[in-house]
Amino acid sequence: MNGRPVKIALRGLTKSFGKKHVLRDLDLDIYEGESIAVIGASGTGKSVLLKNIVGILTPDSGSIKIDGEEVTGLSGNARDRVNRKLGMLFQGAALFDSLPLWENVGFGLMSAHGVSRADARIAAIERLRQVGLDEDSADRFPADISAGAQKRVGLARAIATEPEILFFDEPTTGIDPIMGDVIDKLIVKSVKELGATALTISHDMDSARRIADRIAMIHEGKIAWVGDVAKIDNSGNEIVDQFIHGRVDGPMSASLLGTPAA
Amino acid sequence: MSLIPAIGRVFLSFLASTGRLAMFAGVSVSHIFRPPFYPRLLLRQIIEIGYYSLPVVGLTAVFTGMVLALQSYTGFARFNAEGAVATVVVLSITRELAPVLTGLMVAGRIGAAMAAEIGTMRVTEQIDALSTLATNPYKYLIAPRLLAALIMLPCCVLIADIIGVYGGYLVAVHKLDFNPAVYLKNSWQFLELVDVISGLVKAGVFGFLIALMGCYHGFYSKGGAQGVGSATTNAVVSASILILGFNYLITEAFFSQ
Repeated sequence: MNGRPVKIALRGLTKSFGKKHVLRDLDLDIYEGESIAVIGASGTGKSVLLKNIVGILTPDSGSIKIDGEEVTGLSGNARDRVNRKLGMLFQGAALFDSLPLWENVGFGLMSAHGVSRADARIAAIERLRQVGLDEDSADRFPADISAGAQKRVGLARAIATEPEILFFDEPTTGIDPIMGDVIDKLIVKSVKELGATALTISHDMDSARRIADRIAMIHEGKIAWVGDVAKIDNSGNEIVDQFIHGRVDGPMSASLLGTPAA
Repeated sequence: MSLIPAIGRVFLSFLASTGRLAMFAGVSVSHIFRPPFYPRLLLRQIIEIGYYSLPVVGLTAVFTGMVLALQSYTGFARFNAEGAVATVVVLSITRELAPVLTGLMVAGRIGAAMAAEIGTMRVTEQIDALSTLATNPYKYLIAPRLLAALIMLPCCVLIADIIGVYGGYLVAVHKLDFNPAVYLKNSWQFLELVDVISGLVKAGVFGFLIALMGCYHGFYSKGGAQGVGSATTNAVVSASILILGFNYLITEAFFSQ
């Protein structure tokens, strides 16, 4: 892709839970500095894919390389070293509810980068400002703020350590469309400012179009189509067409409804 | 017809759970000794486990000591052995009742809280978030709790020893008209260091077991609110059973002839 090096390379990625095969021999390249969105129906393995890359899950087989380094099977300090390159916004924000907002945002700085509490607080307040939250909110707790504000804090936490790679798991799920638009714009702004590589998991097509340079469609555990965001409406792929138009009938019907395809 | 495979499945499941618990304990203990350390978290847990448990531990100990004095007096009076009340109270409290009852009370209070807190963190992806922030969950969540419980349970039991003996003294002197000086002399005369030490060793083991069960069940909880509820119940029940079982083993080790 425009001669950029591959930042994340996935080869033959397979993951099953019991008899349920979620990822089946999945291949995907993510290039340095690009923003890619992985779309797909619910339960098709989007989040499982992401969790395998960040090391929360371990694939049954296959390879995950970040900057050319094999990361499958890494644990302990070796995994922590890789994870210092990463930042992640979780679907439910996953803020630490026992810590005030500034400590949530400054957590990675203090815990993994050895920044003092005083400096981390200053940096965290600056990040909170960047996502539209004022200094007064710094000492509030996650339970005291709305779902939209929690997503903002989650985004501030993800970018606080200025990571090389950002992951966004369903960034607009559970919030209203206006707040969704705000979050998308903050994501685009943050990714550009950091010059980071971004992988977004979403089933929200509007969000995916706003955030991504490229889109990959996951279906039955494999990448069914990948291409520039401008080409998705004319992809010529029946699976992509069915998904982006939200049609019940089509090649996805068998796996979604448990009935033969129309 | 399907009985044998069912028994086999249960047995294999038990072995798998035991192995998983052993690995969890081993990894967690290893993180107690490996940097980075989190002294703020350790201090927070010490306060939570030790300081905030004092009221319940104190009340349990004082009433236990009082009842023990009353019961042993009414029993011993039948064969004119009232003079042994002080010795029975002090030995029973230090060897058995303070460590076991403190352990059970703290298991209900702290074991349940640990399982609920860590379980909620698990089902809301907060533990996953720790990993993505390059922070080892064993080091950050489990190790401080294990160490704090290991340190603070003996402290709580030592305080329970004093309060429990004082409870017996209160009833003996103010209700049963024992001579205070004689009661105290009898309490000291037959008390040996090993009586207190054995209780403190028990307390350390119980503290470790309570924190281990709370953290383990919370860490592996799944399925939302119901899963967290099950983890909390399992943490308290398993810790209580282990406390009673290990109480026998440690007593056997200290006092078996």
